[in-house]
Amino acid sequence: MAMQLNHSDRFEQAFERLKNAKPYAKKLYQNDLFQEANRLARSYEGVQKLYEYADQFDQAGVFEGGPWEDPSKLQPNLVNLSLRVEGIESIVTLLSELRMLAIAQGKYEHGELSSEMAKSYLNEVMALNLDYIFPEESEESRIESSKETDRAQNLFKLIVDEMSLLAVSGTLITEIKRLTAQRPIMVNRILLMIDKAEQLLHSDVDEKERKEIQRYHDATAELTKLSEEHPKFSDYRKQLQELSEEELTREARTFGESMRATGLVSPYHVVLVRHLNSSKSELLPTALNLNEKGAASLAEHQSVISELIKVAIHIPTRQSLYGLARLLERSVLSHHPVIPGLRRLIELDVQQDVRETLLDAFAEHDGLTANNIMVAGVLSVLGQPLGIGQGLNPTCQSARAISLWSIHDPGYLLEQIPRAARDGDINMTFEGESIHSKNLTGGLAPELHEELDPVSLILVPHLDRIYADMMRRVQFRGDDPHKWVNPAFYGDWVPKGFGKVFDQLTQNVTDFNGFVRLFYATHHPEYNEGHELIYPNPVGICVTTVYGKMLGFHAITIQRIDQDANGKYRVYFYNPNNDSSQNWGQGIEPKVQGNGEKEGESSLPFHEFASRLYAFHYNPYEQGDPSAVDDDIVEKIASLARESWGQEYTWTN
Amino acid sequence: MSTEKKDKKIALIGWSLQSIEAIDELKRPFVVVSLPGFEEYAKKYDIPFIGWDFETAMKETPMEQVYERSRELADILKQAGVEHVIPIFEDTVEWAGALNALLKENPREFHHSLLFRHKAKMKRRAQIGGLKIGIFEEANNRAEVSEFLKRVNDVLLKNEGDENDPIHIKPFDKAGDVGHRVIRDPRQIESDLTDDQFPCLMESHLDGSQFSCEVFIRNGKIKFLNITEYVEFGYSMMVPPSPEIEKKRPMIRKAVQQLIDSFEIENGFIHPEFFLTEDGVINFIEVAFRIPGGNIFDLIAESYGFNPFQAHILCCDPNTTEKELSKLFPNERKVKGHTGSLMVYPRVNKIQGLVVPEELENHPGFNKHTMFTPEDRKVMKSEGFGSPHGVVYFHHENPDHVKQPLMDYSKYDFYI
Repeated sequence: MAMQLNHSDRFEQAFERLKNAKPYAKKLYQNDLFQEANRLARSYEGVQKLYEYADQFDQAGVFEGGPWEDPSKLQPNLVNLSLRVEGIESIVTLLSELRMLAIAQGKYEHGELSSEMAKSYLNEVMALNLDYIFPEESEESRIESSKETDRAQNLFKLIVDEMSLLAVSGTLITEIKRLTAQRPIMVNRILLMIDKAEQLLHSDVDEKERKEIQRYHDATAELTKLSEEHPKFSDYRKQLQELSEEELTREARTFGESMRATGLVSPYHVVLVRHLNSSKSELLPTALNLNEKGAASLAEHQSVISELIKVAIHIPTRQSLYGLARLLERSVLSHHPVIPGLRRLIELDVQQDVRETLLDAFAEHDGLTANNIMVAGVLSVLGQPLGIGQGLNPTCQSARAISLWSIHDPGYLLEQIPRAARDGDINMTFEGESIHSKNLTGGLAPELHEELDPVSLILVPHLDRIYADMMRRVQFRGDDPHKWVNPAFYGDWVPKGFGKVFDQLTQNVTDFNGFVRLFYATHHPEYNEGHELIYPNPVGICVTTVYGKMLGFHAITIQRIDQDANGKYRVYFYNPNNDSSQNWGQGIEPKVQGNGEKEGESSLPFHEFASRLYAFHYNPYEQGDPSAVDDDIVEKIASLARESWGQEYTWTN
Repeated sequence: MSTEKKDKKIALIGWSLQSIEAIDELKRPFVVVSLPGFEEYAKKYDIPFIGWDFETAMKETPMEQVYERSRELADILKQAGVEHVIPIFEDTVEWAGALNALLKENPREFHHSLLFRHKAKMKRRAQIGGLKIGIFEEANNRAEVSEFLKRVNDVLLKNEGDENDPIHIKPFDKAGDVGHRVIRDPRQIESDLTDDQFPCLMESHLDGSQFSCEVFIRNGKIKFLNITEYVEFGYSMMVPPSPEIEKKRPMIRKAVQQLIDSFEIENGFIHPEFFLTEDGVINFIEVAFRIPGGNIFDLIAESYGFNPFQAHILCCDPNTTEKELSKLFPNERKVKGHTGSLMVYPRVNKIQGLVVPEELENHPGFNKHTMFTPEDRKVMKSEGFGSPHGVVYFHHENPDHVKQPLMDYSKYDFYI
């Protein structure tokens, strides 16, 4: 606190010196002011302090002589990028937005810019900066998480507090829809957005939007009349016993439908399901809104399901109810090892540190055991394999592995979880040698950011270290290490053929056109002689910013390749970042709905996807003629690549 | 361009916002004479300005002919009512000298200014005045450098195969450290020296601690003497210096007065550099008649609480009254703590980011720094020390809390 005070005193001094300087000499004192503002903006309180001065910024000459001098000339669409730039630009932008806020709030009158104009400017800025208002876990924010981002988040917290999100409610709803469409296991960010949107209900928001917000809000809260009338869970539980069969059915249907429509689970839904589980189990298919396959699966495994609900479905772990419904519809329980694998977890002796991690992951874990949480986590992972996210960790490889195993080898996944949770070790064999995670240190994420689903919390620290160790073992082989590591790490069904863009030695882009042809000849149904993609294919892509600039390498999985409703071929893929509809520049925007995507899938037109691809596996026995691919297509893809991420590299043929 | 009003104006030769601010605050009538590139800025803020292309003029004019070349500008200044000109930077010192000579019809002022610009003339004059200096000679070519290196080491009784004592090479008229080379091995004469370094001054090497003085002079007497310790030459300095140097103040003052006398300086400001050898002898290195680099004025302001930029102008302006000066300077012994600056130069070719360690910001001596990750990530190679990419300032009553971090962080890579 003393430090804080010190910073604001220092800012005041710098501010006074600047203010007292003649206009031509402002330059001499601006740097000191920016330095002090930079220190203050590290905390929310500091940004508030800066805002106290915002009405005097112009008079003091904070922006004198720079491009921010005249607020009427500023463009909302430049703010997001400016705030990210390391250096003076981001701090001046922050101060400029504070001045704008002062104008909007009537704290400061500006000759050229009215309060109304400032408000509409800030509304646009908010709509364009939802990523700062609701910090996400995208690849971009993970890579660029920095002091600049922290400061920008503090800034937007203040702007949102002072203004209102009203004007951006439309954008906010679109965002909520976009995120829920992907059915992530972790819904914290969505809940935060719904919570903010809900605050708009008290204001003058338009009727259609009001309904949408209400729908999402209710899905996570008192959805039915009964729950509204009896908001205390214990009262609600008691009232359930009083309901007629018909009323109970209606209650079950309402919750079931809402859950399936939004992917979000209300705590009352949990109370209802637990009640049905003990006294009215025939209504469970309705309460979970199961399809025929799901209902059949439930009927077949009634007693196991009943036990799983008792163990895992609690108010804090309520999202697992959605996982359970999806799990039943995927018929995962019919895989022979799954039921005993799940049973084993219920009584598993969990290591102390794992237990603490699991309990810490839930704020209200009273009465829960680590085993409850672990089983709930497994239901989610088995039900929503494409809803697994890497969170704020650089561990896309591990997330991808859990997802792949959940889809194709749930028995194997259920072997790994107890090894990690009980034994504190996972072992894999790589080229004849056994690798034990307990003997390894480091990994890509030695300090895991723990906003993760329970299974990831248990497995990722081990998987990450094993993956890093495998990579280390083959790093000097003169070819891309993924070629050997991926089949060993993910499973033998990863084919041995390997196409790549970069020369391992020089890191030059080498024979890109050949690479594109190979991808078409092995993956595009019109060129690969009709071989279907049977197992998902772990591939590497270059993620680019909205301006098409290289952001970093990223691991995703091609789930399938198919025609959309218009007959155009698209690549449907799993992106472990859980925010898959980012804008990658050049008009390339992965979509999560509306083009035939299944829950959790993203998709891109085939050629757009190819322009970001840098490595993939293929089966050499299942390939068509690469030369059959049109030169035009190849050229088009090559120029998209060259003009985006390719700018960072030397291209050779 | 010029103003009609005919009053006793000061012309500042060279663009420095600090000096402009200082003279403006002193309410002295003034005009700035500098490169045409500054005209727009001056116009925007109503700063009286005369654009003059010194850059081209300097390229075309050998130092000795500056007097003739200055006539046109002198006429313009006369028209504008300028009575006296003050140089701000090293390479305008002889231009200012020429202009003052023309304005006052006293050619001696021009020749006097050359003493501060021509390193060999400077040494000779100091030697005549009895200041202790190393041995020096002038060289026009590499053969003469080779001879000098031999002669110096011969009298030091070095045998064939012994490591040579180094000699220093400094072009006559380059500012600051530009073109300074240290030659120890005869092979370096070929590899390290370029043709544009000739003619040059060659001098023998001295060991010891280096310091500079910032001397405000009136009527041939020292009004205020600041001593700046070069903690690491080119990288860091401290005002006032460590107690070891500070206790020599009377001796230093004597040497400085000797310098003033021998150079016959009436009014103005000088920035001489000295070596203090281990046996306590003060050796003269060189002297400049302009504002020092390395933020020394900022350090003085922080430690002594007066505005050195104003003091500089007042000491140079012949119309300043004794009363104005007497209020200005504090007691040299009454210092508000030691102030140090560390100049930061990136050691990478392309800057990826900026790292300012928390321990630095939490250090008791830390005051502030000026670094931001630059927009232009490419680092330009420059001759001499060039402009630093940032400065870290320290301030504390205890000199150790200033000097120690100056040394500790001199090797730190702030830019990665």
